[in-house]
Amino acid sequence: MIEAPNVDVLAIAPEISLLVGASLVLMVAAFLRGRDRGVGVVIGIAAFAVSAGFAIAAWGDAPTVTIAQALQVDQLTQAVRILVAGCGILTLLVALGWPRMREAGAEYAAILLFAATGMTLIAGSNSFVTLFVALELFSISLYVLCAFDRSSKASLESGFKYLVLGTIGSIILVYGAAFLYGATGSFQFDGVAAGLAEAEPGAWLVVLGVVLVLAGLLFKIGALPFHMWVPDVYEGAPTSVTGFMAAATKIAAFVALARVLAEPLAPVRDTWEPVLVVVAVATIVVGNIAALVQDNVKRMLAYSSIAAAGFGLIAIIVGGEAGSRALLFYLAAYAPMAIGAFAVITLHERDHHGITTLESIRAWGFARPFAGLAMVVFLLGFAGFPLTAGFLGKFLVAGSAVESGWAWLAVVGAIGSVIGIAYYLRVILAMYDRSARSGVHAAGAPGLASVSIAIALCLGLVIAGGVLPGIGIDWAGEAARVLAAGR
Amino acid sequence: MITATTLITVPLIAGIVILIVPFAQRLAGYLALLVALGMVGAVAGFVYRFEPMAGYQFGDDAEWIPQLGIRWSVALDGVGLAMAAVTALVVACALGYGLWAGRDRTHATFGLILITEAFLFLVFAARDLFVFYVGFEGMLIPLLVLLAVWGGEDRRRATVQVVAYTAFGTLLMLVAILWLGLTAPNGPDFSMAAAVGRGNDLVFWAFALAFAIKSPLFPLHGWVLPAYRQSSPEVAAVLSGVASKAGGFAFLAVLVPLFPEQSARYAWLFIALGLIGFLWGALLAFRQPDGRGVIAYSSIAQMSFVVLGIFLLNAQGSTGATFQMVNHALVSAALFLLAGWLETQAGSGDFRKLGGLARSRPILATVALVLGMAALAVPGSSVFASEFLILLAAFADAWWLGTIASIGIVLAAMYMLRWISAVLHEREGDLVGQLRPPDLRSGALLAVLPLALALIGLSVAPAQLTERVDPSSQMMVSGAYGEKEAR
Repeated sequence: MIEAPNVDVLAIAPEISLLVGASLVLMVAAFLRGRDRGVGVVIGIAAFAVSAGFAIAAWGDAPTVTIAQALQVDQLTQAVRILVAGCGILTLLVALGWPRMREAGAEYAAILLFAATGMTLIAGSNSFVTLFVALELFSISLYVLCAFDRSSKASLESGFKYLVLGTIGSIILVYGAAFLYGATGSFQFDGVAAGLAEAEPGAWLVVLGVVLVLAGLLFKIGALPFHMWVPDVYEGAPTSVTGFMAAATKIAAFVALARVLAEPLAPVRDTWEPVLVVVAVATIVVGNIAALVQDNVKRMLAYSSIAAAGFGLIAIIVGGEAGSRALLFYLAAYAPMAIGAFAVITLHERDHHGITTLESIRAWGFARPFAGLAMVVFLLGFAGFPLTAGFLGKFLVAGSAVESGWAWLAVVGAIGSVIGIAYYLRVILAMYDRSARSGVHAAGAPGLASVSIAIALCLGLVIAGGVLPGIGIDWAGEAARVLAAGR
Repeated sequence: MITATTLITVPLIAGIVILIVPFAQRLAGYLALLVALGMVGAVAGFVYRFEPMAGYQFGDDAEWIPQLGIRWSVALDGVGLAMAAVTALVVACALGYGLWAGRDRTHATFGLILITEAFLFLVFAARDLFVFYVGFEGMLIPLLVLLAVWGGEDRRRATVQVVAYTAFGTLLMLVAILWLGLTAPNGPDFSMAAAVGRGNDLVFWAFALAFAIKSPLFPLHGWVLPAYRQSSPEVAAVLSGVASKAGGFAFLAVLVPLFPEQSARYAWLFIALGLIGFLWGALLAFRQPDGRGVIAYSSIAQMSFVVLGIFLLNAQGSTGATFQMVNHALVSAALFLLAGWLETQAGSGDFRKLGGLARSRPILATVALVLGMAALAVPGSSVFASEFLILLAAFADAWWLGTIASIGIVLAAMYMLRWISAVLHEREGDLVGQLRPPDLRSGALLAVLPLALALIGLSVAPAQLTERVDPSSQMMVSGAYGEKEAR
């Protein structure tokens, strides 16, 4: 007889709300045949809000481990729940600006809720089994979301490419976990850590396991050499989905990586640290240089998100309390910039009826003053200019690196940022190119108000995070203590 | 209560409002001019109330980001006040010119110039390294946009060059600031006071590089000429008049006091580069085919001379350097407005097509001659006074240094005389006949006149400036002077 595991319902209430929301959306949608299914989006937003509410209410509670030791519910998990829910709400607002939401809004919202559930679960995973299941939950949901625009070949290609390459990434991760199981006899994080502490250093089983697990997670982050999927998938996916991936997937995958390195793999730091240093430098260099030559704005932002992942890896390498705090703040600051920038692109796609290139966006800033200005702020934030949240994020990451003897990595990051300014500037220059003051007209269409609200919210967050970052830093610090204690 | 914070927040907020709210162009211009004149009034009040011996005044000091030991700490001493005063005046004049000349200026340009002013005030008043960085990097954004969107034909290349040079410098400085702030003995502390004497050579060079690029100091001046040539006259006036002073000011108020030991050790290098830049800039200015080229290279020469004065590390040198910066700000801003006016009116700044303008244009001839005489440091002029101070300091250091520097001053007389004769005298050029309006009138005159009057005022009563500046500038170099004497 198998004993039922002890489940602390309150501890996993945020995930339950997401799943209940998803089911509700699908049920309601069944009765909406032929009518506007945008109502699904409203339910989705409500589910995200309830989920975030539970997480905020539980902020500061003592950490627990629940569902047969599968899930850790601590400050870090709560932080990711809140962030992902925020990303979800913003993404749904942006998605409303997409014409097809009338017919497919319910399905979109439901799948997004499933993806978000996977993301919050992976952040709290306490064993490689949970890690893998959660990873698959959000990956499969994202494959579907990427291919969601069935009328677009690019979208289908994006989804298919992500499916094929993403599956390979998942398999690598499972393989690594299996090797680690072989070396330590456990899937549980603490069991693996204990086993690795005793294992002889440099044992091939351990090295292989560590490298493969890293590779699987680096794949999701979009770090080199597993970055090839990012530009194609980002370019083809519906733009609101791209924004969600750039923001929320990055948060979930980075926190999962940080947790895996701080908990099960902490004893073998000597094995993974040099690997990550090489990966971080290569990711920053390649991401920035490749972004420099892109004419498609979505593709450019995809490469810039690769570069940003490299910057985040610096914080991962630094680790400890300062590095983890910097990582969380950086990710939280990156999210509204990414969602906001892709929201502006959504708006432009509506106006322009086509893909967003440096050519098509020419002089568009004059036609849409608010969106144009917001885009400038988001791009300046990506580039790390002062008084934006992006600056504080980079400041904290570089600061943690300098503090703990990784100053040269901070210099690499700084040089990458210089290159970054060049390609963000290209977009700004194109948007305000007076010589091409074309007949771009702002197309007023239903649903665009919600996109504007999303942009305004992102804008507020980016500026608030740059001018008054104190609360965010405290909050990131509290959540980061989990990772620092794991060492 | 008007404090240094007021100087920063009022133009920043006013600039953003003017940038965002779609005012009519005229209204936006008048509003911006009103704010700029208000700033002139505020700074005039500071000048009047300033106590030369009382150190930093009109300051604010409040917690900003306590987690990182960052305080909102701003205050003005004699040097900062002198720079702030000249900034307020130059910006007001530039805005006045833009308002009068601006057919194609939208309200955005006025807002951006005000934002630049705010960040410049921030640089001159910062007492905290983080705050200083915000100003130093922040002022780049509005200037870049002004150059990139409203620049001349070749603005794209000019913008890329400015970004490549200045962003590289400032981002390395950011890493250095992080190091200084985070390794403070009593926890993170970014105040300048806590950083005195703690930096190592690498940190010193990171700062020095950023300031040398901004000044610009030979051989890092590559970005200057395209930037000055491609900007509209009022932006060029702000760029060369006051934005470039941020570099010189930072040498004197940040680098030398914070790194007394390294400043004394490497003073010879800065003196050598200053000398080379002074002579070389003067020679190139002599060979330029147009007015803007002459003024641009003369700016390089003059700023090199300023750096030379600073690194003599004595009281006369530092006071002379501050005085020289004020003078040069007035001269180069006025000359850029004048040259820009000529260029717009005649369609070209080429000397071969101009000439003989003095005939039947008494006002233009008088203003140009007054400015030209000031620029070539006629005895009795304020520029003469400041150059004399630096020369005295140079002779006090070594006779040959003073001798070489004197050669540069002779060269300065040569290129200014060439400019005067090429524009005002000689054969009448092809374009002169088309000049409408024929003489300097109304708006342009009103914009240039306050600058010329300020020069005359400083010539009559130079002590008004030097006695306010002297205690502060002496204070700034005292540490390095001690180190130098000890060597």
